[in-house]
Amino acid sequence: MVSRLLECGDQRAARIVAALPTDGDGVLDPLAVDRLMISVHTELQRLREELRIDDRLVHVLGPLFAAIRATAGHGGPFRLVDIGSGLGYLVRRLAATRALGPDVELVGVDLDAALVGEAGRLARAEGLACGFVHGNAFDLPEAATVYVSTGVLHHFRGPALADFFRAQAASSALAFCHFDIAATRLAPIGAWVFHRARMRHPLGRHDGVASALRAHSDHTLLSAAEVPGIRPLLYEPRGMANPFCTTLRPVLGIRPHLEEPLRRALGRASRRLVGPEQLAGTAR
Amino acid sequence: MTPAPALAALGLMDAAFSGFRAYAGRDARIRKHRAIARAALRGLAAGAVLLLAPAITAGGVLLIADDRARAYASLADGGIGYLVPLVVYAAVVLLSLAAYFVLPFRASTLAVVVGLGPLTLLRPLALGIACLGALVHDGGWTSLLVGAVAGVAVLCVEPLVHRRWYAEVLRPPSG
Repeated sequence: MVSRLLECGDQRAARIVAALPTDGDGVLDPLAVDRLMISVHTELQRLREELRIDDRLVHVLGPLFAAIRATAGHGGPFRLVDIGSGLGYLVRRLAATRALGPDVELVGVDLDAALVGEAGRLARAEGLACGFVHGNAFDLPEAATVYVSTGVLHHFRGPALADFFRAQAASSALAFCHFDIAATRLAPIGAWVFHRARMRHPLGRHDGVASALRAHSDHTLLSAAEVPGIRPLLYEPRGMANPFCTTLRPVLGIRPHLEEPLRRALGRASRRLVGPEQLAGTAR
Repeated sequence: MTPAPALAALGLMDAAFSGFRAYAGRDARIRKHRAIARAALRGLAAGAVLLLAPAITAGGVLLIADDRARAYASLADGGIGYLVPLVVYAAVVLLSLAAYFVLPFRASTLAVVVGLGPLTLLRPLALGIACLGALVHDGGWTSLLVGAVAGVAVLCVEPLVHRRWYAEVLRPPSG
């Protein structure tokens, strides 16, 4: 892994990995890696709490579920699946505040077993009505009504980004809403300041800046989300929002019949919701 | 008028925030108001002990001074020079905090991004400016010494509280 990171030119990441505990054969100690991942994600949760990411999500998801209820023809239950849920902060927070209503089941899914285990333990400790699953979000036995994520999209590069949206469009889900770092010139500087000020481990500090540098542009996100059966929308694109106020913003994909009720539910805020045809006029 | 009470109050307030920062990012529970309050109290306690260092330094300066009245006046002048930059810094922090708690989430993000985050990194700089203020405001080298000791003391609160109570990576959800 160290040599691969060096090949990629990421010497700092190589140094961080080289400092992790290994066995006699140079294989990373899995327990130490799990503990480190949980530790870094706990620090990351602190940042999410401070930046009120849950408020930001509810601001969009509340109207989205209102639109779904208005058009569903049944009273639920509906299912929200958080892809790459990590320690499950958003799902646990939504469960604690019941911000989306009692008819929304909350599920977090992650490929990292240690994070899923810790998320479940935290939810049980606080008696929160939500579940966590280790595995692929698209292989769940019960379908999602809405897929969400925060800080996941920048991990997908090239065709993988469109594939990610295509998988959701091919499912029976009615919508997806993925928050990611707004790609502005300030983002890497802001990420450095905050990860330096708030995170202790070098891994978290380095990853924060690397993630900001990898953030997708508005145009890239909307283009990738333009898949059959889905109306791609961007909330608070770069040209319409103060970059100091909008550190993360979502790309949405909704079934076309939901657009009108969603705009109605958003009210005045619907002016911040743009499709590909409007993005050209707001990008500058 | 002696600036000592105001400086002590500022130092203790900073210590309480340092206690919070030492704890923050070590507990992934959702409901943790009591744990936050406990961390702030731990910071306050550690700060109260550490801030004895500048008080003892100031006492020592007065004890060895030939002219204690003059030495006291010099420390008082330096203390005012030390206090002014810190009051400005504290006012900006408190304004950012008020904005964070009172304003809607977009504006509160602004308060965090341009205020609370960068201001945390600027604490050593604020203390450096305060030391300079002590020196140039007729405080002399003795005020600079007391100010530097106080600066080191407040900067030590967060790492000390963190190491004493929050260094363990995985914490069981108790309390």
